[in-house]
Amino acid sequence: MSAETLKEKEAELAGMFEQFYDKISRYAYVRIGDRASAEDIAGETFLKALKALPSYRERGLPMSAWLFRIAHNMVVDFLRQKSKGRSVPLDEVDLPSDVNPALLAESRLEMARVNQAMKALSPAQQEVIRLRFMAELSSKEVAAIMGKSDGAVREMQSSAIARLRQLLVE
Amino acid sequence: MKDFDLILDDCLDRLARGETVEDCLAAYPRQADELRPALLTVSRVKKVNTFEPGMEAKSEARRRFDHARADVSGRTERSFLSRLAYWPAVLVATAAVLVMAFLTYNAQQPGISPYVPVSIPVTSSGGNFVFLISDAVNAIGDFKSLEITIDKVGLLTGSGWIEFVPEVRTLDLTLLPGEKTQAIWRGNMPEGQYSKVFIYVSDVRGVLKASGQAVDVKRPGNKIQINSLFDISAGSITGFTFDLTVTASGNPKNGLRYMLKPQIDESGAVVVPASEASSTKDNPRKP
Repeated sequence: MSAETLKEKEAELAGMFEQFYDKISRYAYVRIGDRASAEDIAGETFLKALKALPSYRERGLPMSAWLFRIAHNMVVDFLRQKSKGRSVPLDEVDLPSDVNPALLAESRLEMARVNQAMKALSPAQQEVIRLRFMAELSSKEVAAIMGKSDGAVREMQSSAIARLRQLLVE
Repeated sequence: MKDFDLILDDCLDRLARGETVEDCLAAYPRQADELRPALLTVSRVKKVNTFEPGMEAKSEARRRFDHARADVSGRTERSFLSRLAYWPAVLVATAAVLVMAFLTYNAQQPGISPYVPVSIPVTSSGGNFVFLISDAVNAIGDFKSLEITIDKVGLLTGSGWIEFVPEVRTLDLTLLPGEKTQAIWRGNMPEGQYSKVFIYVSDVRGVLKASGQAVDVKRPGNKIQINSLFDISAGSITGFTFDLTVTASGNPKNGLRYMLKPQIDESGAVVVPASEASSTKDNPRKP
């Protein structure tokens, strides 16, 4: 990669920081349930991406998807280091303590219901839900991250939503 | 007929853009019966995941990223002043305000004239700090006028908050895009390191270009705060620019929702030696 192209890519990466730091934080938080670690992972993702930029080649993988792959790998490493090998259930995640107790209890209950329903999905479906709903990526970006076609992602999200709906009304 | 998977996919994108379930159902009335339960399920799942990263952590991450970027490129760590060579924006104008000569304002008009980027008289005996407002256009371009009233400004030092009331309290943001700035206070501040800045916005009044009508512009709270590390030191003048912007979300059909926000990346301080502030030049505007 020429020096000029590298500079352009650096600028592109810097331009993505504002929006994608938030998306990556949310994605990491849903997976690991710890605020500080999720924020650390988001920051470290950009540092790692900057370091790896000379070897980045677009070739159908937009920079956003490449960034999320780095984030995904960091989350996996984090969970492996924690020797848990699973995401922290959402009902173990802290909720703000300045909320009305009755509302807080209802929030926790709802979180537990949703978490339980999510567990019934396949790992790929769960990942699609996390990337589409929490990180708010497009289906095209999700497809690039997961190495699947756009159509496959759309089908997975439709079937995941249908399954979640079924479980959440039961 | 558009495949249901594609329709649902489009609705998920619309929800991510801030549109409502009802907006989506209105866009696809024939599929509404099938879409409604699916989208309500999506809303439920999203609602329990309302995590927002902290501003402080984000600012710190940004600072580390910028530092690493400078190192990777083999550049020495850029001081805020040196970034002026790359940012043809508000900070150049801020530096220009500090280094140029002072215009004499009408002696019968003490204080700072509203809506006009000003040159601030600073003498060697006082006035080590200037507070300026600017904005990044975004949705401000939709407005014919967008007046904000700032009742108070606060700066955090190691020993606590220092607050002051701006000399210019009401500004029209449509007049301050990009590199244009409005100084709203000048004077002396204690020397030392500062880490946070807030403005207290008591009122926002926007009039849209298209309709000529007043519209509600929300803000995260009356107090809009950013983290920014800067120094005020002897023998120099520090100019701090607080940059704002307005974003729009929702469906233009039902009326966009406007939000006033800080523009962290465009905010910050420029420090100039006091001796350079005594040269005479006209009040420049950045081209």
